[in-house]
Amino acid sequence: MDFEEPVQGHLHWTEEEHSHGKKEAMRTILILSAVTVIEVGIAMIYDHFVTSGSGKWAINLFMAIASVVKVYYIMGTFMHLKHEKKWFILSALLPFSFLVWAIIAFTWEGSSWHAMRAGFLGIF
Amino acid sequence: MADATLHHAEESNQELWAGGHSPFRVGYGKIMMWYFLISDTFTFASFLIAYAALRFTQTDLWPKASEVFSSIPLDIFHGVNAPLVFVSFMTFLLIVSSWTMVRAVQAGYRMDKNGVVKYLIPTILCGVLFLGCQYLEWTHLIHDGMTPTTASATTKVTNFGQLFFVITGFHGLHVLGGVVLNIWLAVAAWNGRFEKVGHYEMVEKLGLYWHFVDLVWVYVFLCFYLL
Repeated sequence: MDFEEPVQGHLHWTEEEHSHGKKEAMRTILILSAVTVIEVGIAMIYDHFVTSGSGKWAINLFMAIASVVKVYYIMGTFMHLKHEKKWFILSALLPFSFLVWAIIAFTWEGSSWHAMRAGFLGIF
Repeated sequence: MADATLHHAEESNQELWAGGHSPFRVGYGKIMMWYFLISDTFTFASFLIAYAALRFTQTDLWPKASEVFSSIPLDIFHGVNAPLVFVSFMTFLLIVSSWTMVRAVQAGYRMDKNGVVKYLIPTILCGVLFLGCQYLEWTHLIHDGMTPTTASATTKVTNFGQLFFVITGFHGLHVLGGVVLNIWLAVAAWNGRFEKVGHYEMVEKLGLYWHFVDLVWVYVFLCFYLL
């Protein structure tokens, strides 16, 4: 392996940065655990008390938002993205905008397939 | 070493355009690890979007997570109805291992060799435990009749099993890869390899990969267990 290459970046921390990072990591793991416990708790309570499946969309919306919160903390703090240069953050995040249409298009496709099957089953 | 590698905001625009600088102020390997992980995200996203599309074709038949994952696959918990408890434990293992990984990276910033090894060991153990749990869960589900080609009485649709084994299997392969790399990393750190290099950037790079495994699990967990 080539060890000659100069490395750019902040690879050596001072005591102060270290104690700050330690606190930030501890706060993040507590937030991640709490969000997971709340998610699972809500899922269990909902399944136990609501058997009809009504209001499931609200539960799903909550779970989706809670997952985005968890990803924000994992990427921002654990993967240190929050502290990188702006254009590096954007170069890492902008590609995900492609997924927005992919999700809409494929769930649309799935619903259409579902409607077609229901239609055929109705006829035959 | 530290003075030579750190270029803070003092340099002028002209110096920046003269080459030899990293505009992102991040090492080459770290940037490439990020871009690899982004491409890997698209692979997982394709799988999960396929899951969404196939689920939407049969929304009325799709099984409830609390019924499929209703028990803890250990003999002492046989017959106990505990939906989502086991998978929550697995999620917790990944969260804890992510935290120990961060601590290993931070120990690396301080050139603390023992600290790096000390925090890598629980990271590896959590990874191995996660894989063990996955083995137990898969065995339990296959025993119930859910395989990549068949549905059990509770899963009803074949697509559920197909997607479950492909997606959690692909994620499990990533965990396995991470465990192997982390073992290599701990041994290399213990042997003083990174002290010779002058920095512990490799811990940070593999740390990014390990957090990514946790990040993907957030979405696998969401799709299969929560929605």
